[in-house]
Amino acid sequence: MASMSTIQLRLHTLPSFQRRDFPSFLEFRTELGMISSSSSSITATGCCARWNDSSTKTLKRKFAVRALSDPPPPVKGDQHNNRLQHQLFTLISHKPPIQPALNSPNPTLNLRHAVASLPTFILPKKKHFTPSFATGLCAAAAFVLFVLRSYTASKSRYSRPGSVADLVRRGQLRSDRRGISTPLKYEDPFNNPMVKIGKSNSTIEMCGKVFRLAPVTLTKDQQTIHQKRRSRAYQWKRPKVFLKEGDSIPPDVDPDTVRWIPANHPFATTASEINEDLAQHNVYQKHGVPFRIQAEHEALQRKLEALQNEQKLGKLVIDPIAAQDFERPFKSHLKPEEPAERSSSKHTNPDSARNPFLDGPASDEEEKP
Amino acid sequence: MVSLQPPLTNSNTLFYSTLTPPNPFHYFPNLYPKTLNPPPPPLKPPHSLPKIQSILQYNRKPQLAGDTPRVVVITSGKGGVGKTTTTANVGLSLARLGFSVVAIDADVGLRNLDLLLGLENRVNYTVVEVLNGDCRLDQALVRDKRWSNFELLCISKPRSKLPLGFGGKALIWLVDALKDREEGVPDFILIDCPAGIDAGFITAITPANEAVLVTTPDITSLRDADRVTGLLECDGIRDIKMIVNRVRTDMIKGEDMMSVLDVQEMLGLALLGVIPEDSEVIRSTNRGYPLVLNKPPTLAGLAFEQAAWRLVEQDSMKAVMVEEEPKKRGWFSFFGG
Repeated sequence: MASMSTIQLRLHTLPSFQRRDFPSFLEFRTELGMISSSSSSITATGCCARWNDSSTKTLKRKFAVRALSDPPPPVKGDQHNNRLQHQLFTLISHKPPIQPALNSPNPTLNLRHAVASLPTFILPKKKHFTPSFATGLCAAAAFVLFVLRSYTASKSRYSRPGSVADLVRRGQLRSDRRGISTPLKYEDPFNNPMVKIGKSNSTIEMCGKVFRLAPVTLTKDQQTIHQKRRSRAYQWKRPKVFLKEGDSIPPDVDPDTVRWIPANHPFATTASEINEDLAQHNVYQKHGVPFRIQAEHEALQRKLEALQNEQKLGKLVIDPIAAQDFERPFKSHLKPEEPAERSSSKHTNPDSARNPFLDGPASDEEEKP
Repeated sequence: MVSLQPPLTNSNTLFYSTLTPPNPFHYFPNLYPKTLNPPPPPLKPPHSLPKIQSILQYNRKPQLAGDTPRVVVITSGKGGVGKTTTTANVGLSLARLGFSVVAIDADVGLRNLDLLLGLENRVNYTVVEVLNGDCRLDQALVRDKRWSNFELLCISKPRSKLPLGFGGKALIWLVDALKDREEGVPDFILIDCPAGIDAGFITAITPANEAVLVTTPDITSLRDADRVTGLLECDGIRDIKMIVNRVRTDMIKGEDMMSVLDVQEMLGLALLGVIPEDSEVIRSTNRGYPLVLNKPPTLAGLAFEQAAWRLVEQDSMKAVMVEEEPKKRGWFSFFGG
């Protein structure tokens, strides 16, 4: 209590408060001589109520906060110590006579008096608020617990069986970092700090591990010797012709360069839907519609034209008004079926499918680049 | 894993000799407009060198050697040794190094390269559709969105049969068509070869002028690799280098696995790379994200990257990792120092 300070705050001295009108006079004291025994009690005394009846007819409340910082005046005995140890908040409200105010014609004044007539309140105020170490410790512990809890919750969420991260970790689901994800690249592949040669040049350190190095002893002569050995051991000519088992060897083909492909080979076949020149042209094609797409489109176009011509011829013979209702469902059913039939027949019988594309002026145009 | 001279030479000589690629085109960059970086400055005395963080030849961009497109077939003979993994990682490493790459999955029956690259949902057309005229070649090429200079071309869909009536000519046409593209000639055409020496193998090696043989240090793989090497040499492919995959230095130290030098002695081929066994390979395969894009890089990813570096410069390994040594730690290593 030696560090008590005296703060005397008078509202009428503060410019921000001067313009306000307080309905009563409030005085806040920390040292009063008539405090009784209880140390924690706060006594409100209304003994100092004064009505500041100024000439301006405004009700002012004076709020005085006074704390003692200078040594208290010498007072006898325990009474003084009690005074210093306890805090007194005295609220003195000076209530003006209500009756005349209520009768006044000004409603604002009435309201103000009504508020002023309410029971006074008591503000407990500790003279000293010293931040307790225990309070801070508790707050820190609570914060740490909160962080730990959130961390464990997030961990358990990711390690939950069946979660995406869990499936990715177990390899049952591919990671979301696939395909178009941003590349993970370490900064400079040309100055890689992960690889370091030792001082003696007989060791190398890679990724934190040190390895002993040994020079390569293979010479050119040894390589040549191995090549000769292999050329003697493996007499081989690369097959140039692939034939299905049972086919006859063409007369101008070396039998050593023939590769026989069984009919039930899992991934290779000697049959081809298109001839060699057309395949080469397809590979070299840079722009435009691919050959088969264009051929199918034009074949469909020809088919449609043929159907339209047939329809025109039919109109000459049959009464169009009478036949139109019967033709529509038949034609709409026929049109989508035709390309499917053509494509399926193409796949089943390659020779028969190739001919329509190669024959005719349209297919000749398609082969031009 | 690194290109080093035997450790008899001193360190500076060693460094310079590794910096200088063995090909004569290194000093004539104008002949190769595809070269990304200017050639390194002429050699200076050692004391004037700038500080280099990692003393490796990979501190600079590689100089492209040979005529473009370089058609490289990646083959093995035995299945399951890592051909497709090698194709994906070397291909993307080349793309990261700035070269345009077209990877052709020529494994007709069992194609998997699209899975390793994470592009399986984007493969709509294949070479079979191009040959049949269902689409154009540029429609069948799948461009990787991570590295736009990498493209994938699958030769057929899993359930369709490749018409072998014109055999490997189809792949030759493809290479010719890729040369005439408006985007320019690709620097590398990597062909992922199927296992075995069947019709798919014959088709895949047809347009190639160099080969990368992938093998593992076991006798079954070595026998097949020797056979395939013989077939490739009979076919006229002389530039054959090998990648030894799934090497475990701990087993080599315990003499339970052939060392890389033993493998090289048996096959007599130049070493393009040595890939250590790495569990990250399986993880990256399942994710569709090649190893070389991992951050931080793994041992296998670094090895693939260095193999790609040597492939560009037509270089080969001069030293190999033999075994792991305990790392020397400082006084304060207990405290993390």
